[in-house]
Amino acid sequence: MAVGVEEEVKSLANFLGSPAYKVTTQGEIKVPQLHTGNGKTLTGLATISKFLARSSPSGGAKLLGTTPEDQAEIAQWLEYRVTIVDRSVEKKDAQAMLKELNSYLLDKVYFLGFHFSLADLIMYHGLHPVMCRLSFFEKQQYQNVSRWFDQVQHYPGVQQHLPQLVFLRNTLYTSSDH
Amino acid sequence: MEKENDQPEVPLGPDGKPLSKKALKKQQKDAEKAAKKAQRQAQQAAEADAQATEDFSKDRYGNMAMLQSTEKPDRRLVRVEELTPGLAGETVWVRARMHTSRAKGKQCFLVLRQQQFNVQALVFVNDKTVSKQMVKFAANITKESIIDVEGVVQKVAQPVESCTQRDVELHVERVFVVSASAPQLPLQLDDAARPEHDEEDASRPRVNQDTRLDNRIIDLRTTTNQAVYRVVAGVCDLFRSTLTGKGFVEIHTPKIISAASEGGANVFTVSYFKNNAYLAQSPQLYKQMAIAADFERVFTVGAVFRAEDSNTHRHLTEFVGLDLEMAFNYHYHEVLDVIGDMFVQIFKGLRDRYKTEINTIQKQFPCEPFRFLEPSLRLEFPEAVAMLREAGVEIGDEDDLSTPDEKLLGRLVKAKYDTDFFILDKFPLAVRPFYTMPDPQNPKYANSYDMYMRGEEILSGAQRIHDPEFLTERAKAHEIDIEKIKSYIDSFRYGCPPHGGGGIGMERVVMLYLGLNNIRKTSMFPRDPKRLTP
Repeated sequence: MAVGVEEEVKSLANFLGSPAYKVTTQGEIKVPQLHTGNGKTLTGLATISKFLARSSPSGGAKLLGTTPEDQAEIAQWLEYRVTIVDRSVEKKDAQAMLKELNSYLLDKVYFLGFHFSLADLIMYHGLHPVMCRLSFFEKQQYQNVSRWFDQVQHYPGVQQHLPQLVFLRNTLYTSSDH
Repeated sequence: MEKENDQPEVPLGPDGKPLSKKALKKQQKDAEKAAKKAQRQAQQAAEADAQATEDFSKDRYGNMAMLQSTEKPDRRLVRVEELTPGLAGETVWVRARMHTSRAKGKQCFLVLRQQQFNVQALVFVNDKTVSKQMVKFAANITKESIIDVEGVVQKVAQPVESCTQRDVELHVERVFVVSASAPQLPLQLDDAARPEHDEEDASRPRVNQDTRLDNRIIDLRTTTNQAVYRVVAGVCDLFRSTLTGKGFVEIHTPKIISAASEGGANVFTVSYFKNNAYLAQSPQLYKQMAIAADFERVFTVGAVFRAEDSNTHRHLTEFVGLDLEMAFNYHYHEVLDVIGDMFVQIFKGLRDRYKTEINTIQKQFPCEPFRFLEPSLRLEFPEAVAMLREAGVEIGDEDDLSTPDEKLLGRLVKAKYDTDFFILDKFPLAVRPFYTMPDPQNPKYANSYDMYMRGEEILSGAQRIHDPEFLTERAKAHEIDIEKIKSYIDSFRYGCPPHGGGGIGMERVVMLYLGLNNIRKTSMFPRDPKRLTP
């Protein structure tokens, strides 16, 4: 379920100030491929995004984490994005995922805690179509995800081609609403 | 290891083949049945035995002969709600329903219910008054039977948590069945009264809406429903008394009418001798005619019919309309002020006078208390559009509000102003009926308003056009056949004061005030496209 995965890679490249690479997709599930220009082809979102960050002329490498723990956590979220987020097409799956992320983000600004990283970037792109479909009631239900999402979409340069979503800061629904 | 084929031996049927699972089950059931039958016979024999022995209290219990008004006994029946510690030690008579009975050896606990109140009663064997047979009789009275009980009120050491009369119980001395209920009830009252969102009790049965409605008379006996329909009555009472206090006159309008008031799309047609007639969608025409006839301020409470085939939580095909219409001096906001204040009076009256009922309903259907401002909050349509746009809703300047938009707007207003009730003024003219007066400053808008409770519309109203020429012009603009509404237009030819008003759905007001999720919960015998009975 990778609708617009080419745009996503281009957005990432744009954000990281990379040169205009050629991006294609492969197969039915549209795995992105990036052609580096010197004959090499990189396949898969996780691989491509790590390459773009590492080779970023604008210092994107720091988004890959500085400590081994951070790096491992980023790898974990890249995997989560590909294995869980992209496969949560059914409403039921999406709800389970949002519930999980909501409790994870309870005490965090970004996925790594206090630092913006590649994990936020990748998760933002992955969750955008899911968040698009949420009602205000659901946005409030997953308020930690909403808070994080709103924070990330306002991070300079992140939004790129994606439309901005509206989040309200006040509590609209009370606990007894059904 | 050996193969696992040491299953229990399968019993064989009469044809020598192993019995299928189904047949096996049947066999088992038959055996159970036989056992039960034997047990029953034994019990009956025992009962006969017991009856054979002397029963010293046989005049103290039994089935009463059908009450045919043969006598006027000098007996005061005390109401269950009056059974308080103040009556301790006194012997009283009570008529109530058998809510439950639970026999335990030589004693039997009863719960007696009267409307929304209940009390625990006890029948226990003693030497002089209560015999074994009497306890047995009490235990066998079917649930929901109506009984007359004489007993002594006793204070209890520990409050009876399951009853409304927690501090006393009744020690029964006589019990007579006035009207016996059939032993099988189509639904259990306890199931019907269980909170819908009780986590602890999630596994216990609940009664769904349709089953309730199919057996409405039993469902209506739950304490919750007893309270709901007292609140319904309260809304009508407050509507009447508030308006009467403001100089309104109650009128009664016909429901059988000759022509549909606003196009014929959603009216019921009835045959009327050799012609057709229609069931009124609103008393609109008649209350306006009453204004033209110098009644100045009128209201009416009565049935309103809508032939819309909408099966939603908030539509009925017949409901009770609370309609009002009043002449004003210079500005239709005079009307808005009167209606706004009327709602405040209704909300205050409910809050203050129906506290017990509201608390009872909350136990089954919890919700936040209803919030309102005094005077009522008034917003103009463009403000509402701006609030919705700020929240990311795409809406045109002259679009009508969709139901989800209305609900969201209700939330936004609640968050901003902390009120569940507000008035939305200045609707776009294009989405209102032809008799709506346009706004003189901006002809795209109208002197028209809706009122909302918890984000759902409960009243629609406007200043009406009282000028026959202009009314004709507007009707033409709406492509309405002038011939068909001739008598309506003509009623304004002989001088009519400027006037405005509105119509309220009674069931909706109660539903939203109590935060219920379905209008069928506030209509005693609801009518919708799929339901004509009971």
